[in-house]
Amino acid sequence: MDYAIETTDLTKCFGSLTAVNKLNLKVQKNTIHGFLGPNGAGKTTTIKILVGLLKPNSGSVRVLGQEVHVDKADSRLRIGYMPELPKFPKHLKGAELLDIYGRMYGMTQQQRAEQIPKLIDSVGLKGRENDLIGKYSKGMQQRIGIAQALLNNPELVILDEPSIGLDPVGMVEVRELVKTISKEGITVFLSSHLLFEVEQICDHVTIIDKGSLLASDTLQNISSKLGPAMMHVELADLSTAVIASVKRLPFVSGTWKTGNTLLIQVTTYDDVRAQVSKEVTGAGGVIVGMSQKTSNLEDAFIQLVSKDRGEKPQ
Amino acid sequence: MTTMKKAGVRPSWFTRFWAIVRYEMLWNIRKKKFIGVIIIAFALATLGLVLPSILSSTTGTAIAANPNFAITYGASSFGFFLFALATAMNSISSEFESGTIVPLLTKPVSRTMVFLGKLFAAFVIILISYAILFTYTTVGSIFVYGPQNNLQFVPLVLLGNLISTFIWVSLLFAMGSLTKNTIITVLVAVGLFLALFIAIPIVSVFAGPSPSLNYLPGSGASGSMLVGNTTMSISTGTDNIGVNLVNYALYPSANVTFSKVNLQAIQTNETTLPTTGVLYTEPLSLVALRALGVAVVYIVVFLFISWVVLKKSQILE
Repeated sequence: MDYAIETTDLTKCFGSLTAVNKLNLKVQKNTIHGFLGPNGAGKTTTIKILVGLLKPNSGSVRVLGQEVHVDKADSRLRIGYMPELPKFPKHLKGAELLDIYGRMYGMTQQQRAEQIPKLIDSVGLKGRENDLIGKYSKGMQQRIGIAQALLNNPELVILDEPSIGLDPVGMVEVRELVKTISKEGITVFLSSHLLFEVEQICDHVTIIDKGSLLASDTLQNISSKLGPAMMHVELADLSTAVIASVKRLPFVSGTWKTGNTLLIQVTTYDDVRAQVSKEVTGAGGVIVGMSQKTSNLEDAFIQLVSKDRGEKPQ
Repeated sequence: MTTMKKAGVRPSWFTRFWAIVRYEMLWNIRKKKFIGVIIIAFALATLGLVLPSILSSTTGTAIAANPNFAITYGASSFGFFLFALATAMNSISSEFESGTIVPLLTKPVSRTMVFLGKLFAAFVIILISYAILFTYTTVGSIFVYGPQNNLQFVPLVLLGNLISTFIWVSLLFAMGSLTKNTIITVLVAVGLFLALFIAIPIVSVFAGPSPSLNYLPGSGASGSMLVGNTTMSISTGTDNIGVNLVNYALYPSANVTFSKVNLQAIQTNETTLPTTGVLYTEPLSLVALRALGVAVVYIVVFLFISWVVLKKSQILE
């Protein structure tokens, strides 16, 4: 298959720290691919290697069929990239920044004159394009960051935490923008901490931790691997007796502890809250809150990361 | 949303290079530091032109004609350093400090292109500034000091001053790439400048115009040159490349004599003037071209360090 991004045993170390560990990442073309992992999992390091900012210690990277090298400028012609919390020169005006970057992409004056106002409009900066970037708020810098990532009409857009710093309206606008560009045939590779955001817009997901790949599949497949539903039971104090008691229930296929909350994977679509409540109370547990819902990305994420960190199912 | 052609059409090297030059020049001309240095430079140039007129009207004496003012005025170690500092002190380091290097290097531009674009922008900005300053002082000197001789050599002085300035520009580029920190870059450059500014005269007093001074950036050794019946004092260092190239063009066969003052004679309270002993004599051609060569070596070495370090830098910002 022809992938937009393909890494083979990609490894990057900083001294004794292995930030990316033999990562085999595959991103299909024309998809919106979410890239997830806890803080320090190696997401940004991986992305920096993909866009040629960092040189890997070993392994290979192909983006849009081309090998990526730190100083191979042409490999970046078909890529749009927005860094996490992007910083742009404060002395330039928003429109000037896009104009200069457009020149770097070799866009003609006519192309820039057509493309830049459209982008400024689509990211909600109309009327502020002639202000110095130094006067932009964090959210506005994020918006100009998205605009510059789309400037060259790329085949692949890499967005590192695109919603950070945006207000709720801005976050919705970004999601809509990502969906729109995806419909135009652009592959989107998106790193985010906001699992609900990934769940809303991505069709494929890769989860990494400690630089290694934990799972990579369609969103549906990753969520469904957990079973039909998950229960979240918050207790005043979560004891091992409670966990052991819950595990004895016939419909429970696994449990995970996060703080005083017990995540219970169930094998049925039926509402089993009453049975679980009875079992927990019987074992001396005091329930503070409880919910049962269809398994989602958050559950899959917590399960995968907990497993990777040696937190075995209880 | 988009109507332009699909990405991937390879722009020419020059198109991308020029975009970086434009990026850098817009920054330079909007820097408060740079605007400040330009104002100071024009204020000093104006002072040099107006002060004689004020003194003349106060004392009632006529201003003496100086036909060489235009080709000798304006060479100042401090001026070169300030122009370099205002233009290049954060050209590379602040890209790393502010994180703007990340979006820049993810555009289809190589690090070599970014380096050359920034360097060329600094060159153009300083060249234009000097050209305006030189035009201003040249025209002004004609009004104040009368007709000027050898005006055809004014561009040579400008070129020399540009090379002198670029020793500091290249040092600032190298330090910026190495430290990625503007404060450290400025501290190192200011420290080195002041050390040389103070050390060279001290060495000259105690050791005389030592030949080693000719290989340091700065004012160099002091000597004298006999032209006809007139003895001209001359400084050999990299700060005087422009003036010495003009001198060489005007007096190609002249020699420069380097003498040491007998300090012991002063200390023993002898009533006669202290004697001087000739240390060595060099042809003016050697003095002028050596300073040019030394400056070029410094520039090439510093720029090479800056380029290699920038190319190898890991972008962790």
